[in-house]
Amino acid sequence: MRRVLGLLASAAIVGAVIVACRPGADAGYVEIKTVPVSAVAQTALYLDAAKLAPIRKGSAILREHVGTLKLQADAGAGSLTLLCDIEVKKNRITSVTVSVMERPPRCQCRYGGADAARTCVS
Amino acid sequence: MTTSLFVGASRTRAGIAIAALFAVGLALSASLARADDAGAGKAASPVEEFSEQLEAFQKSVPDLNKSIQDSTGAIDSITDVDKARAEIDKLRETVSTLLGAVSDNGPVSQLGIKALNHVHDKLKALAQESRFKPEERQFLTDRWRKLQEETESATRELDDARAQFASLLQTLQQSEDFIGELIEIRQAEKALEVIRSLTRDIRDASSQLNKLIGGIKPPGA
Repeated sequence: MRRVLGLLASAAIVGAVIVACRPGADAGYVEIKTVPVSAVAQTALYLDAAKLAPIRKGSAILREHVGTLKLQADAGAGSLTLLCDIEVKKNRITSVTVSVMERPPRCQCRYGGADAARTCVS
Repeated sequence: MTTSLFVGASRTRAGIAIAALFAVGLALSASLARADDAGAGKAASPVEEFSEQLEAFQKSVPDLNKSIQDSTGAIDSITDVDKARAEIDKLRETVSTLLGAVSDNGPVSQLGIKALNHVHDKLKALAQESRFKPEERQFLTDRWRKLQEETESATRELDDARAQFASLLQTLQQSEDFIGELIEIRQAEKALEVIRSLTRDIRDASSQLNKLIGGIKPPGA
């Protein structure tokens, strides 16, 4: 009986994960480009609180939940500095270029929102 | 007496002749009556023809009505602008699903990264391995290096696919209005085809109706 319940619970968890990871389920994309292009970008970037894997060859495309995310950079001493907001829309891609040469790094939105300097939209 | 006999005989002959004439007349009239009947049968043929044509026309009318209804429905749906938008959304969703698989934090990319990390770990471990003879170690290292090259090549292909899908999604976004117009043009072409098909059906029905009307001949015409 316990084994059956365990199996059912596992099936429910796997099902929930599949549903949550389904690309069409209210998810969009963020394209982050770093300039200058390097094999692996050294600047640590964060989307909200999640640290991103080092960006390889100057570009990364990330699947994210719909909403507004904060792109931040490591400002040293464990603090983060806000670079810009990124609006993620369902099945759309929002592109942002980060100039990592500057201190702090600077966002360049491909398309700007109402607050063009700080919000990138798709 | 002779005279009376002769008269009697001639009377009898006359009676026979009259009877014969009467019989011939009866036979003729019967034959004429049969001929009339046969003539009446031939006169019914146009009626049958008319009924057949009428029946065929009546059968074709519901088909035509259905065709008109279907065509109206099809044109309504084809000229629906929201449907064109829905088509773009569907297209975007398809591309998005593909991009989801190959995005940097997607399942396929993660698999590629894991595979590469594993190869790197194995190469590092082999470099410090002391269990094998130098030639054995060299052989294993070569095999892992080959695997590394192939895995890197596969991940490069993944990068290309990612860039391609991302670019496609961006094109869909940037040219949304133009693509919408293209879809509407394609729909209008479909609508035109439906109208042409309907026109053909109506023309066929009209020709059938003309045939039917042409078959109606008043008596004596």
